[in-house]
Order: sequence, then structure tokens, then C-alpha cells
Amino acid sequence: MSQHPSTTDDLADEAASLDGYFSDAPLETQPRYPPIDESFDRCVVISNLPKVPEAKYDKLAKVVLKLVSRIGNLSSYGNDDIEASSSSSGCGDDGQFSGFFMPKSDVDGNTAGCAFVEYESAGDARRAIEVLEGYKFDKNHSLRVTPYERASKLSEVVEGEFQMPEPEPFKERPNTMTWLEDTCQRDQFAIRHGKETAVYWNDGRGEPVVDYDGARERKAGVNWCDYYVQWSPKGSYLATLVPSKGVILWGGRGFEKLGRFAAPGVNFVVFSPQENYMLTSNNNGRDPHAIKVWSIQSGTCLRTFPLYPKDFLDPSQSESSDGGGGVPPPPFQWSHDDKYLARMGKDLISIFETPSMKLLDKRSLATDGIREFQFSPKANVIAYWAPEHKNQPAHVDLIEIPSRKQLRQKNLFNVTKCSMVWQESGEYLGVKVTRHTKSKKTLYNNLELFRVNEPGVPVEMLDVKDAVMSFAWEPQGSRFAIIHAENPTSTKVNVTFYDMYKTTELEKKKGVGGNKKGGGVGGGGNKEKQVVAEVNLVETLEGKQCNCIFWSPAGRTVILAALGDSASGTLEFYDVDSKTLVIKEHYRANQVLWDPSGRTVATTVTQPIGGGHFKFAMDNGYILWTFQGKQLSQSSFEAFYQFTWRPRERLTSKEEIAVIARNIKKYEKQFNAFDEAKKRKLRLQETKGKRKSRAEFRAVMARLGEWRARQKQERMELLGGYDSEDEQNFSTKEVTIETVLNTKDELVY
Amino acid sequence: MRPILLKGHERSITVVKFNFDGDLLFTASKDHVPSVWRSENGERLGTYNGHKGTVWDLDCCRFTRRLVTASADATAKLWDVETGECIRTFVHYGPVRGAAWADGSDMFATISDPFVEHNARISVYDVPINDDPSTYPDGPRLEIELPKIDGKRVNATNIVWLNLNEALFVTFDNGSIRLYDPITGEELDEFFPHEKKINRVSFNRAKTLFITSSADFTAKLYDVVDLRHLKTYKTDRPVNDAVISETKDHILLGGGQEAMSVTTTSGKVGKFETRFFHLVYEEEFGTVKGHFGPINALDINPNGRCYASGAEDGYIRLHYFDKSYLDMKDPVPEETVDGEDDVDDDDDDEEEEGKEDEESYNESD
Repeated sequence: MSQHPSTTDDLADEAASLDGYFSDAPLETQPRYPPIDESFDRCVVISNLPKVPEAKYDKLAKVVLKLVSRIGNLSSYGNDDIEASSSSSGCGDDGQFSGFFMPKSDVDGNTAGCAFVEYESAGDARRAIEVLEGYKFDKNHSLRVTPYERASKLSEVVEGEFQMPEPEPFKERPNTMTWLEDTCQRDQFAIRHGKETAVYWNDGRGEPVVDYDGARERKAGVNWCDYYVQWSPKGSYLATLVPSKGVILWGGRGFEKLGRFAAPGVNFVVFSPQENYMLTSNNNGRDPHAIKVWSIQSGTCLRTFPLYPKDFLDPSQSESSDGGGGVPPPPFQWSHDDKYLARMGKDLISIFETPSMKLLDKRSLATDGIREFQFSPKANVIAYWAPEHKNQPAHVDLIEIPSRKQLRQKNLFNVTKCSMVWQESGEYLGVKVTRHTKSKKTLYNNLELFRVNEPGVPVEMLDVKDAVMSFAWEPQGSRFAIIHAENPTSTKVNVTFYDMYKTTELEKKKGVGGNKKGGGVGGGGNKEKQVVAEVNLVETLEGKQCNCIFWSPAGRTVILAALGDSASGTLEFYDVDSKTLVIKEHYRANQVLWDPSGRTVATTVTQPIGGGHFKFAMDNGYILWTFQGKQLSQSSFEAFYQFTWRPRERLTSKEEIAVIARNIKKYEKQFNAFDEAKKRKLRLQETKGKRKSRAEFRAVMARLGEWRARQKQERMELLGGYDSEDEQNFSTKEVTIETVLNTKDELVY
Repeated sequence: MRPILLKGHERSITVVKFNFDGDLLFTASKDHVPSVWRSENGERLGTYNGHKGTVWDLDCCRFTRRLVTASADATAKLWDVETGECIRTFVHYGPVRGAAWADGSDMFATISDPFVEHNARISVYDVPINDDPSTYPDGPRLEIELPKIDGKRVNATNIVWLNLNEALFVTFDNGSIRLYDPITGEELDEFFPHEKKINRVSFNRAKTLFITSSADFTAKLYDVVDLRHLKTYKTDRPVNDAVISETKDHILLGGGQEAMSVTTTSGKVGKFETRFFHLVYEEEFGTVKGHFGPINALDINPNGRCYASGAEDGYIRLHYFDKSYLDMKDPVPEETVDGEDDVDDDDDDEEEEGKEDEESYNESD
């Protein structure tokens, strides 16, 4: 409806313009007006604009208008020409509003630094808030965009004295370290079986004792956990996975709920080594937020990632149903100090900084043809390898982060596959290289061993003629073991131990090149024990039946195990120092798990949750052994899903451990006395319990006996008056049986 | 402990039972011919010829005069124990799964499987010993039909008479036990000790306790009066039979992985062992190996000196206990009079060693 003011006094014109208003027809009593739109959701207020004098008004208005028009059309009220009206003062003077108004200050005539904008649709207004909020208008002005309704409310805010908000009452978070204060220095483990989840104490001597088994949750009518559980790397938290909802963290005495993280479909979690962050994944290739990174303390989601990095998959592969085409997604890896989170992409490694989760230096680390990378467990060093690519040979690189300095590059030829294994303290990196001959028909192995902490990172190559099936470093030590055999399919294999250092006794002569292990100098006279940094063979055990090596976390002891479906479950406990061997067996075992102290080791037979083939369903349970191979306890379950030791941080240094080892006699007595007392107490308790159950059982039997005695008469009647209980009630019958053994006819004369 | 191997059956053993006095051992197998053996030396005394199918169950009367057998040829037969003559044959609608003498041995009850359109049935027959067998009626005195539940066939696995013939006690393959009135046929009670099939139930001699063996890897001890659950004995294989020792507080358990799901040839997979549990403490303290198929049936001699086990492998092993077992005492010493609650450590250790003598006896045939 136009409201042009009349420009002429011509009555005829007026009549014409009013034609239709005057009519003889009766007026509609209830005329149908369009509904009044009283909402302001199409309007936004832009503030923090520059304040300009009158002279520059038009110029500013033009720029702002251009900016806001980019989002969507401004509403106009019958005005044919937006440009024309907007170049004027917009609204007010002549009662027109074109969707844009920039008010002036009453005091000095400058603009007030704000503008009102009305769009044709609410959607545009929302988009304007999203897009223009924080827009850098010029170097001093970044725009603030507020919905009109909120702005009008803000104008009503009464300015007053600032009131400090009352701080939330301090709520102490439970101490997640209490379990480490256990007076018996026990370790914990968690198990999942059937619908039960429980955490046990293990003292390395007897049966495990329950610490918490979800009693509180059971009382509330729920299961503590329906899926898998996972400890954080230092053992502070126990994460229970709820696939429908997310992850719950538990900790402290009595396992209180410490945090909830909404991650629907969660399939697994990866904690950062220092327990500041957590990464959840739902393994859904179609979900753009499949992977979520959380801050554990605040419970906020820091960033999300899709399961696969951009361009990682060939387009043909990503067509398939799960979006992954069977290619496993490249895993995220945390650096040891929680500073970085890295993931491999196509020809690059993306390294994200915490806590901002932004790309380190805004660019990925270019690594042409990368196949696999590994963070060092103790330093911000990345090791990766790439196969032959164009004219470049295959290579293994060590790169320092964040400087991106290449510490070492090792070129390799004829490489089929590499696999990299860091030693636990990050001193060495072992790379198993599978090579092919020129004809690509036969494969052979060798090992490249990096001494990471030595200047120049020397690399030694160890040729192994056989196929290498397994490679494992001694944690905290310099030794490693490999399983090898001439034919990878043969059942008999050899196990060889190597040491990165060689101890030689030679004439007094200083070590060459300073490659000396600290404290290795000893002995007297002319002879000097010298430790040379040279890989040397310690020992080979031949004709073993094993497929996995498990070093004890304390070093020295190693378990050679034959795990898996077709294997026998043989466990060989081998002490590398004293060369003693103990052979045990856990039939169908599929896992060997050392406790963090290296005292106890668990072997388990588990079945996957929800994947119930009967071949998995038998023999479920676990056995605990001492590191010497003595069986401590055995538990069986109908459906056993998971066994996991609570990890603990290594708090004592190597030197401290050495001191303790020297004074072991002193501690020994103390511990023995303690153990003895505990054993006795336990025995007493057990006896008491058994006596009680025996007494109860005897009471039941006495009652049943009475009940039976009452029936005596009836029973006797049934048996025809015979009292079967009366031991005296028998008759003796003498039966003479004559058996003719032989008859002989003899003629008697 | 050297077992006497009773070789006589050609197929899987289904049941082994000592008579009341313990001098005879009755066995049945899938080879149609039940046998009787002298338990003293394992000598076979004779066979009962006539069945044309697997004999699933047998029961010998209180005074070892008559034997009733239940067979898959849809008949139950009544035999003269001494002569081996078949006295009468009772035709059923389906394979007969179990048979049991009533107290007083003048009647017996059978259970039969569902067959084609016939439902499972419980039948009670009157066979007074003083009457002429030719006057016994052909049909049962009482027949209880067990209709399908939710369209699923009901299979009874065992039947026993309880409380001086006041109730018929029937176990089922869905893990339930029902009690029926043997006069009216009315269902008195139903309860579910197990979630899976109850393979066997056995009673102590006084019929005050019973133990159920189930495919759910457990055996459970109940009292007869209140039907109250007392103890559970857990294993890691299906339990096919369990018996209560008369002379000691022990339970014998037999079972093993089902023959159909044995995947490898290794004998240790199946765990075809007789396991010994303490009745009260529910602790396993010994095993006896030897069979190379799951143990289907067990019985311990009422005098407690020997036990017999019959297995899927077709063998019956009759074991006479060693002295170390017979001399075994309760591992928990009785409370001393002055109430001092101390346990002599050395004593305990000896007990444990004593137990191990029993354990892991493995004889190669």
C-alpha cells in the first residue's frame, strides 16, 4: 500500500486516488487484514562501526550497505529503488525505511557507530550474525552483530555497580591417585564378563580381591558398563564406553563418576599420555564429526575430525557403504607430553597443537608417500617411513617437532614393507625392513637400528637371513628379541636376543668415538671392561613353538607365547639373565598381559562382545602367573570380554631402583613378616567362613533328617513293614552250595 | 587308583546305576542291550535283550527283583533282574526318556518324548509284585500330557518319585523342574534352577537332597522339603551327571564338551574328567581323567568305596578309591572346645597334599 503524499491540490486527482474508498457497498464488518508481524527476527543491529562526521556519512553508509547486502536482500517497503533511498539518511526524515538505517548522534552530528538492518528473511538475518560477527571492518573496528531483540533488551540494562558473581562453592574432585597409596603396593586390574564389570586388587601372591564391582550402579538398577572399559595411561581414570551415548570417566576411591562425554556411537577412546585430553571415535566414515577431541578437566569438545583425512581415500573407495572401503583410518597419535596430536594424511602428517587444536604453524608436515609414522615415547620426535616413490628411494626419517628439523634420514632400497618399533624409553628405534630381491620373487628381512640419543643418530643394520615374525624391545633396557624362522609357516621357530651394547674385555685402550655406555668402566689392571655401542648377539633359542614375545615391564624376563586359534597356548617364561626356562600352558589363550610392575602376568581367553561364535565361547577366563611362571589363580567365566591392568606411572628412576635392589635384604624381612601375617589372617578368615557355612549346612541336614524321621512309619508300610534304616534288621541265612568240580568213573575191583 | 574297564557296550553309554545294596551295577547304552555287572570285580552277569532302540534310562527296584528300562523304540520294558526275562512291554507314543520306580516298587512312572503329533507324556503304571504279571493293564493308570509351550515342544529329561509317592518330580530341557500329583495328575509346582537343559538329576539315598546337572556348566544342590537352593558347583563345560556321595561330603561331577562341538582331536579340549567337589565349600579338589568322550553318566556305590562312569566313548570305568581318598577328612578342622580360633598351619598343608594324591590320575589304556 503506497503512502505517497499528494503533490497536487487537484481535487480530481485526489478523487482518483481515493477511488474505491467511497462505495455504496456495505463495509465488511471484519475486514481481513494480513497478520501483523510483530517479531523482529529479521532485524539485526550492527555495532562497533566507525564514527564519522556528517561529511563522510554517505560514503560509510554505502560501504556498510554493500557489506550487509551481500548476505541477502534487505526488506523494502514499497521503495522501488533501494540505492536511492539508502543514499539518503535511510529512515526517519521522510518516514521511509528501506531496511537500513544508520543513526547519528544528537550531540555532535557524527554517526553513532551503529546501524540497523532488516532483511527479507529471518534466515538471512541469522546468517548475517554468523558471517559478519567479528568481521574486520578496518584495522580498528571489528563488527559486532546482535539480533535486534537482544539489542533492545540490552538497551534496557540498567548500569549499576558491578557485582562479583558468587563463586561456585569449591567442590573437591576426588583424588584420582588414592589407589597408588595402597599400603601393600598392590596393582589393580579391571575385568568385563557377562554383564559384570569389576576392579580387583592383585598382590602378586594369592587370589585377587574385589575393590569395586559396580555395586552402586547395580543398586540403581543399571550395569556399570555394557561395552568395553579402558584405563587412562597413568591409571587415574577408568573410561566406560556406552556406545549409544558416549564415554564416562570414573576414578578416585570407590570409582566416582568424574566426567561424561557425549560421543554417540563411540567405539574406542585414545587418552593423551599426560591424561589432559581424550579422543573418541565412532568409526563412522560418513560422520563428519566421527572423531572428537576432548579436554578431560573441563569436559569440553575441542575439535572434531572426520574419520578419514581429506583426499586420503581414492574416490572410488569412498563410494562403498562404510565410507572407508576397508582401508583402516589412519590413527591419531599423541606426543608424549600432550603438546601435539598428529595424524597421517595423503603425503603429509597433520600436527595439531593443544589446547587450541590448530594446525602447528598452519601447515602440515609434507612427507611424500608416507605409509606410517610413530611418535617417540619420550621426545617430540616423529619417525616415519615411505616406500620408493618416483625417483626417490624408500626412506625412514626422524623429524623433530616443532622445529621440523630432520634428525636423520636413512635411505633403503628394494623395500616391500617396514615396521617401526620404538623402545619404551625412546632411546632406540628398530625398523624391521622386508625387502625383495630384484626379481621381486623372494622376500628377506633386515633390521635397521637407530640410536636416537647419540649425536648424529648412528644406524646399524642387522642382516637376518630368516623371515622375522616378531620384534620386541626390552622396556627400559638395551636388548631386544626377535622370532625368526627360515620358513614363516613352519611351526618351529628360533628366538634370538640381541644387545645394543657389547661388553668386551680388552687391553687398556680408550673407547673409540666415545661410544661408551655410562658407568660401564670397571675392572682393574691392564684389562678394562669396555662397553661398546655395537649390536651383538646374546643368545639364540632354537626350535621354539611361539609366535609372540612379551617382555616384562621390569625387563629381564620374557614370555614366549604361542597364541591364537591354532596354537597350543604354550607359555615359556624365560629369564634372559640367568637363562632359566619354565614352560607352562594356558590352552586357547589369546592374550598375555604383564602388570605394570612386572610381578604378575595374566593370560586370558576372551571373546569379542556381541560376536558369539562358539569357538570363542569355550574356556573363557584368565590365569594369573608370577613372573617365574607359578600359577597364582584362575578364574573362569561363561563370557569373558576383557582384562586390563591399571597402568601406573614409573615414579622411581633407574638409580633409585638400583639402590633399592642393593638393599633388598633390609626390605625383604619387612615384607616377609607382613606377608606372613596377612596369609595367616586370610587363612583364619577362610576357616571361619567355611566353619560357618558348614554349621549352616549341618543345620539344614538336621532339619531334613527330622523331616525324614517323621515319615518312617509310612515308609515302612510301603516296604511291607521292612525297616531299611535299621542296620540291625537283617537275617543271616546259611546257604550251602555244592558244586561238583569233577566226576570220574572208576572201576573198583 | 586303577580303574576296571567294563567292556561290553558297543555304543555311547547313557546310564550307569548301582542297585540299592551296591553289589550290582546296571548300565545301558545306545546299543539297545542293557547289562548288569558285579560291582566287586566288574564281571558281566548278563544282559537284557529285547529292545530295538537306544535305552535311555533304567531303574532297578528297591529289592533288586525287577528292572524297568526306557527305550527310544517307544517302549518301556519290565524285566526280571535275575533271569533276564522280559516280564511285560508297555508301548508308548514316543521315545521313552526316563523311568522310575515308586517307593515300595509296586508302580513306576515313565516320561516319553513328543513324537509326530503326540505331545510329551508322563505315564504311571501299576505293577504290583504280588500280582500275576499277565493281569497288569496294558495302559497306564495315569497319563499326564505335556502340551507345547509357545509352540515349542516340551522335552522332559528325568523323572523321580518324591516324598513317599506324594509327587512326581520331572526335569525339563528348558531348565525347569515341575512337580505333579501322581494321583490326579495336577501340576503342583514349577521352578527354574537353570537357564539351560537339565541333563540329569540325582538324589541322595534319603531323598532329602537333590543335585541337578545342567548344560549351563553348573550343578546345583537343592533340598527336597523347601525346594531351596543350597549350593552351586561351577565348571567350564556342560555337566551331564552329578551324584552325591553317601559316605563323604563330596559331589562327583561328570561331563565335558559336547561331542558335536569338539573341534580338535586333543583330549584336553573336552575336559572329559570326573570332578570332585566338596559338598559344602563348593570347591573342586580333584579330577579323575581317563575317558576320551564326554561322561554321560556317573554313579557312586552306596558304600562309598567305588564309583562308575560311563561316557560317550562307549566305556564304563569302575574306580575303586585309594586309601588316601577314603581316609580324607574335612579340610577345615572342627572348632576347638575352648573357642580359640586358631588354625595350625602345618596341619592344613598336609591336608592339601593329601588331596593332590587323588588328583590327576591319568591312565593310558
